[in-house]
Amino acid sequence: MSGAANNPAPRPSAETAPRAPSARIGVDVGGTFTDLVLHDAARNITRTGKLLTTPDDPSRAITEGVARILREAGLTPADLHSIVHGTTLVTNTVIERTGAKVGLLTTAGFRDSLEIGKEIRYDLYDLFLEPPPTLVPRHLRREVPERMAFDGEELLPLDEAALLREAAHLVAEGVEAIAISFLHSYRNPAHERRAGDILRAEYPSIPLTLSSAVAPEIREYERTSTACANAYVQPRMQRYLTKLEADLRATGFTGALYVMLSAGGIASLREAKEFPIRLIESGPAAGAMAAAFIAKLAGLDAVVSYDMGGTTAKMCLVENGAPDHKHDFEAGRVRRFAKGSGLPLKVSVVDMIEIGAGGGSIARVEPGSGLMKVGPRSAGAMPGPVCYGRGGTEPTVTDSDLLLGRLDAAHFLGGEMALDQGRVVRAVEQGVAAALGMGVAETALGISRIVDETMAAATRMHLAEKGRDPRRYTLIAFGGAGPVHACNLARLLKMKRVVVPLGAGVASALGFLVAPPATDAVRSLVGRLERLDYAAIGALYAEMRGECEELLLEAGAERDAIRYTAVAEMRHVGQGFEIPVPLPALTISAADLPLLRENFFAAYRERFSRIVEDAPIEALTWRLSAAAPAQHISLHREASGTPAQRGHRAVRFELHGEVQAAILDRYALAPGFTFEGPALVEERESTCVVPPGATCHIDEHLNLVITLA
Amino acid sequence: MDPITLEVHWSRLISIADEAATALLRTAFSTIVRESNDFATVLMDETGNSVSENTGGIASFSCILPRTTRAFLEKFPAETWVPGDCVITNDPWLATGHLPDITAVSPIFHKARLVGFAGSIAHSPDVGGALWGADCQEVFEEGVRIPPTRILRGGEWNRDVLDMFLANVRVPRQVLGDLEAQVTANEVCAAGVREFLEDSGLDELATLGAALSERTDAAMRRAISELPDGEYSAVQEADGFDAETTRIVCTVRITGDEMEIDYEGTSPQIARGINCVWNYTHAYSVYPVKCALDPFTPRNEGSYRSITVKAPERSILNPLYPAPVSARQLTGHLLAGAIYRALSPIMPERVIADCGGAPTMRCLFSGLDNNGDRFSQVLFASGGMGAAPHRDGLPTTAFPTNAGAGSIEAFESVAPLVVWRKQFRPDSGGAGRMRGGLGQEAEIEVRAPGPLRLSLLSDRRDHPALGVLGGGGGATAQIMMSDGTRPHPKSRTTIAPGIRLTMSYAGGGGYGPPGERDREALAADIKDGVVTAEGAKAYRA
Repeated sequence: MSGAANNPAPRPSAETAPRAPSARIGVDVGGTFTDLVLHDAARNITRTGKLLTTPDDPSRAITEGVARILREAGLTPADLHSIVHGTTLVTNTVIERTGAKVGLLTTAGFRDSLEIGKEIRYDLYDLFLEPPPTLVPRHLRREVPERMAFDGEELLPLDEAALLREAAHLVAEGVEAIAISFLHSYRNPAHERRAGDILRAEYPSIPLTLSSAVAPEIREYERTSTACANAYVQPRMQRYLTKLEADLRATGFTGALYVMLSAGGIASLREAKEFPIRLIESGPAAGAMAAAFIAKLAGLDAVVSYDMGGTTAKMCLVENGAPDHKHDFEAGRVRRFAKGSGLPLKVSVVDMIEIGAGGGSIARVEPGSGLMKVGPRSAGAMPGPVCYGRGGTEPTVTDSDLLLGRLDAAHFLGGEMALDQGRVVRAVEQGVAAALGMGVAETALGISRIVDETMAAATRMHLAEKGRDPRRYTLIAFGGAGPVHACNLARLLKMKRVVVPLGAGVASALGFLVAPPATDAVRSLVGRLERLDYAAIGALYAEMRGECEELLLEAGAERDAIRYTAVAEMRHVGQGFEIPVPLPALTISAADLPLLRENFFAAYRERFSRIVEDAPIEALTWRLSAAAPAQHISLHREASGTPAQRGHRAVRFELHGEVQAAILDRYALAPGFTFEGPALVEERESTCVVPPGATCHIDEHLNLVITLA
Repeated sequence: MDPITLEVHWSRLISIADEAATALLRTAFSTIVRESNDFATVLMDETGNSVSENTGGIASFSCILPRTTRAFLEKFPAETWVPGDCVITNDPWLATGHLPDITAVSPIFHKARLVGFAGSIAHSPDVGGALWGADCQEVFEEGVRIPPTRILRGGEWNRDVLDMFLANVRVPRQVLGDLEAQVTANEVCAAGVREFLEDSGLDELATLGAALSERTDAAMRRAISELPDGEYSAVQEADGFDAETTRIVCTVRITGDEMEIDYEGTSPQIARGINCVWNYTHAYSVYPVKCALDPFTPRNEGSYRSITVKAPERSILNPLYPAPVSARQLTGHLLAGAIYRALSPIMPERVIADCGGAPTMRCLFSGLDNNGDRFSQVLFASGGMGAAPHRDGLPTTAFPTNAGAGSIEAFESVAPLVVWRKQFRPDSGGAGRMRGGLGQEAEIEVRAPGPLRLSLLSDRRDHPALGVLGGGGGATAQIMMSDGTRPHPKSRTTIAPGIRLTMSYAGGGGYGPPGERDREALAADIKDGVVTAEGAKAYRA
């Protein structure tokens, strides 16, 4: 089921010289499908492929997919320069709790930090809420006498005999991986490192994670949680990546194999094997990188990327061609959209919000208030919306989209699935409309209004937290349901422009090919600005720079092309939330103090629209990001040349009632073509709804660029 | 208004209150606001009725704020407000029951007309007076009391009042920073409302607020009417102060769709700071009812209309001015346990056992650090939650408050203290078919250049969290010094360098008879060391 060649098939050219390995492949292993993209700039080839994921051994689908896409492109494994891989294996291991049996060694007196956590109820009203998961049960958490102070001073030496005794106990219990997390190890890792050396010598085959290596940041719960999660996924990821590389090599592949990190950079297998937890958001990161790439192509420097699938909607701020980042993430939530219900991880990720609003989100009337709610519960892919006819009985967002005329019952998924409209009318009537005392059409519009409003509220909040005004942004829509709801969402956010790239699924996988080799490093060192230990900070940056450089060289970067960006997280003394403040250089001195203060106030004002001038400032954490230039790829494509308009259909709009909308074939729209709404632009994976009054222009990359009234 | 539009508007208004809360939380200096979630933001109509509230924060605060706003309106009638005003108070009887909480309310104007109020409450870093403690004898010792005051008038700070207040607090810069954060939060809320009114074409909030209140009122009444009519009661005892133990007598009367919670028979007010003013009594009575009966409907003015709370005047649950009230949480947090025990026979599937974290136990250290800077830090930590019908009590989790805990590494970075351990207390969870949540133990050493001041605010030394429906009680709280002394649990004292203080937080009560405990669950508890061989004896059939 490979296909969608957007370029002419490769000419059986007159190449005679040995071909340079210039082809690159991106592979995304998702829960259901393994998606591939091949790009060869030298030969001007872009191809995509899709096959079912093989969950028992994901590398099988990858090697098969790679072989197939190469064959279709007329290439051989020897033509491959590199493969970039993204995987949901890490996140699934955490969600499904199928990781290793982990033992944890902590400072004496602190083995329960992992379970005590933040002592917060993530839902104020639910007396029976399920607590966040604990990856290491108490009997596998053991304590070792040792202690550092907050400034790195040794208060109690490491008891090496106790360390060996406790480790032996864990090994006897059959642990498959060990994590070590000592207090203040972010400041002075000597005890952790010594313990690591001792255990590596004693148990060379047991993977070991040091908290000071995986997340050298202050706050013991989050750091310990990150170390345990890393240990938890490590044995499985090491086996998997080792096998994948061997399998690919067996096919004759001699290029480089890279992975996509959660922050959208590509990295070497060694980094992935040592810190597999950094792959936790590998898949979604690719989507954000693709959005950033498309924003750059379209010349947009202020974008909100919006990806609405079956279960969730994800929004991400993309400014100046790069997605926003954050340095903590919550994985494996027991209540999917409740903050605080999962494992906190100190990893760099693309900063996205994910809410329970997708095509499959279910509408229901809340018995208490008699008001309708949409989501976060989703019908998912099975049974799916009522209209799929696979046994779903509760009306969903996709069902309402069908009733409103936005989707074509006969041509859904390119006609592969006939939608059952009659069944949907009954479900909406019995499921919600009757209880609300409203008509079916009105209720369907209501479902859409509520889900759009939910997404708008979440986006507004996300931007407000960063001090951003949505009106300045362009919305780029992806996913099956994204283009259906994009214009409405943009209207609610008062955005003027919406961009819909061609082929949402393809666009996302492009992220693997346009991502730069990139990584980051972090250290915590707490100090007031006027008392900073500049020598110590310089030493930290030198160390971090060395680490990053080594990783990026492995990831294929040229030493001289690596660019470093330093940021410190600061706050006023007494506050609890830090804000990132750019540093002028990797080495700073007392002479930079005025500039540091100025940068802090600028960042503070941007976020909170005011400053507190005379309150002292402190820095807690020092970050270094390193990146090499990304590969550019061309997306220039030709239209199919067939007539664009396929007829008309009645569509119901919130502000305009029912109107006749033109139906256009997305693949027939040529660059430069312009039309006005109301219109429906249909492509295989989605339909873009263009409301009355809006103008749509096709740009040279075949993006729909919609200007709202 | 049709139900869809109502839902769309309501979610928008809740998210406006949430945006205001985020603005407050991010810029607050007060660790108590952050770690203890001691704050709230509420959007009200022009008469002070609440329309929407922020999702996190202290639930009880949001039901007090509208009442405070109505008190403001008595002093400053609606027509006297102008854009850019902000009125504050920390009066315990008008607001949230003790001086450290500052309530700030700003008007919202739309098309030159007053359409509502944006309000916020935050626990201030300091309000002068005695160090936060439980042992003052009059409210005057507890800090500066600010009657309803226009701290901002037309956008201009009332400098004289501000200077007067800041001259009486220990950390004026931080106190002002938090006041500014509250004003900013109110502005965020007001801006959100103005945009909402423009988008929706509405002219005012009151009609919408009334329609929403009808919904929340109906939801609560529906839940109450499912309970059998009758009178149910329970008595809750606590340590109180020295010989004056606290006795809370709670009678719940259910008649149709209404509930009355009556504390007739409760101990009289005392001359120590554990008196709980009526506003706080009311808030901590209705909140647990909402959790048990109608947890998922959002709240506003209508949510509690069907519930009446009565507490006799001059009782510890309705003390009169100038009673000391600083540690009113030591009494107010006990009410949830009394109400749940009273209702447990008629709704056993909806209640939990008493919580070890009710009331909260706090130790506050204050003095000079090794740089000679003044510091003041509270160690946040909680006892175990009461067991639920189908789940063990959560370990080290507070209820009815939702105070979290910060990082020990961060704590040690800002205070000359070393925490040598912070770990579960084995056997502290009350035995039961479902076990009570575990308490914890923290050992803190003073490493300051000189003695520090220590304030202790605690209860449950003599009165454990009780079990329900046959469950056993949790372990009691204990406070010990390494020199072998046991400090008074509600005292302000000093602690010398080198001394270690051990705080043992209470466990939660158990649910159901211990003999019915699943044997595998008991074996797992023993393997994990949270129940010892000795402790396991409590589970014998």
